[in-house]
Amino acid sequence: MSAAIRLDNLRKSFAGKPALHGVSFEVQRGEIFGLLGHNGAGKSTALGILLGQVYPDEGEAFVGGISVQRERARALLKVGAIFEQPRFYDYLSGWRNLEIFTSYSAAVSRAEMDEAVEFVGLTARIRDDVGTYSQGMRQRLGLAQALLPAPEVIFLDEPTNGLDPEGIAEMRVLIQRLHRERGLTVLFCSHLLSEVEVLCERVAILNKGNLLYTGRWHDLMPKGTRYRIEMEPWSAELLGDVQLVRPGIVEVPPGSDVADLVARLVGAGVRVRVVEPERQTLEQLYLEKVLNV
Amino acid sequence: MLFLRQFRAELLKMFARKRTWMGFGAFFVLELIILLKLQTSEAERFFQRDFTRNTGGMELIFGDYFRGLTMAFMVMGLTIFLLGSVFLALVGGDVVSKEVEDGTMRMTLCRPVSRFRVLLVKYLSCVVYTLVLVVFIGGSALLTGMAWRGVGGLFAYVPEEHLLVLFTQKEGLIRFCSALVFLTASLLTITTLGFMFSCFNAKPAAATVITLTLFLADRILSFMPQFESYKHWFMTTHMATWTNIFRDPIPWERIAGDYMYLFGLNATFLIVGYAVFSRRDFKS
Repeated sequence: MSAAIRLDNLRKSFAGKPALHGVSFEVQRGEIFGLLGHNGAGKSTALGILLGQVYPDEGEAFVGGISVQRERARALLKVGAIFEQPRFYDYLSGWRNLEIFTSYSAAVSRAEMDEAVEFVGLTARIRDDVGTYSQGMRQRLGLAQALLPAPEVIFLDEPTNGLDPEGIAEMRVLIQRLHRERGLTVLFCSHLLSEVEVLCERVAILNKGNLLYTGRWHDLMPKGTRYRIEMEPWSAELLGDVQLVRPGIVEVPPGSDVADLVARLVGAGVRVRVVEPERQTLEQLYLEKVLNV
Repeated sequence: MLFLRQFRAELLKMFARKRTWMGFGAFFVLELIILLKLQTSEAERFFQRDFTRNTGGMELIFGDYFRGLTMAFMVMGLTIFLLGSVFLALVGGDVVSKEVEDGTMRMTLCRPVSRFRVLLVKYLSCVVYTLVLVVFIGGSALLTGMAWRGVGGLFAYVPEEHLLVLFTQKEGLIRFCSALVFLTASLLTITTLGFMFSCFNAKPAAATVITLTLFLADRILSFMPQFESYKHWFMTTHMATWTNIFRDPIPWERIAGDYMYLFGLNATFLIVGYAVFSRRDFKS
């Protein structure tokens, strides 16, 4: 079975400035895949190419095994997308906006529209002008339009941008429900690593148009266990096979015990004040990978 | 079926905007001002003098002709070419570029629809707007004029086109209504020119201003005696052919030639607009 999404050696420059350097990765059917990178990393360009809005200089993008560049309409037939700030016709109601956007896909029944509106929790305000909506409501309307008519793949470009913490949590729950209840394949583009960490199993990391990593983010985890350690005086010689990752952080290799390290330090007259496991976040891994911090 | 839904959606967007109705409101106010001015005895004396001079002293029947139909014709002739062009350039120049600027074009282009189809439904909605605007202007001028002075015969007088003719009420009404269709076809050139610039990577205001600048420059140059030998190249020369519907007999061959020229211009504008739009990258 072909991958739900495939990027094949994509290259793109804007006015001579490279935006993507031969980026390739695949997203399997039914997974939530995170596309990570800071602003200007090339996420939006990659997404634009996947939607046929940006023409690649080289390479090809596939959705459901169909080339977006060669058969755009067929490739996007089962695709929904929202951008970081979904734009609407503010002078029209949310319902009218849904009618307008879905008219460019396929005939959508009233019941399908009602269901999408209810799914995102906008039923009470759907007849109001979009101009009166909050940012969170706009995002939810954006998600509703992306769900019409019945996509199998959904692209989410920074869907939590501009939302308050409550809105971010709501959006996260909606995305998880989409995946769980409808089995959608989700390509989640974000620079918010905490969101990607919660939602995605596999990620691709872009930096300045280069693909730095693709795979399970857990695989980025160090093989050993990391500890934050405070001791006085600080003595690197006594660490032995324990690696100093950065000031105050050590990595104990598999098969070794941190207790042995502590005993060695205490035996040498070092005063050990704190030894605690350091939880590795995706953010730290990302910074190490991208910035070597 | 889907095409009709898309077309309906475009019309809905266009006619739900306040800006779309600005043209209608502005024209109606202008019509009222001109019609009010035409009611004064000073204006009546002026036109009577003109009428008598050009009809070889038929002042006795002036009262039959200085009525609603003639007034509507005057209002149309005085206003629609210049003011109409402003609103058509505004709508044509806005229809694509505003959506690109607002970001709704990107939302639309997420859908499995070709760029050609998107432009086609947008252009057709501009055609409808042009027709509705012209019919509104002609219809409201006629109705307002009739309400004040009845229908009457038609005294069609356009000095710059060397046109002077009298029609009975029935014939006048037929010619007037037919003229609205031809006028729509003429003014569509402005809409299409604006539409072409709207497809470029330009702000909506820039597309409108460029369209109006070209239109006015064309109009001004076509009136200059120094450009007399180039007159047939100017689009406004051909656009003015709508007044030929008031000649007796109607010069169909000349009208057909003018509209063929305008059709060629419109087709060129559309092809250029589409070529530019279809090659553009859309990105936030």
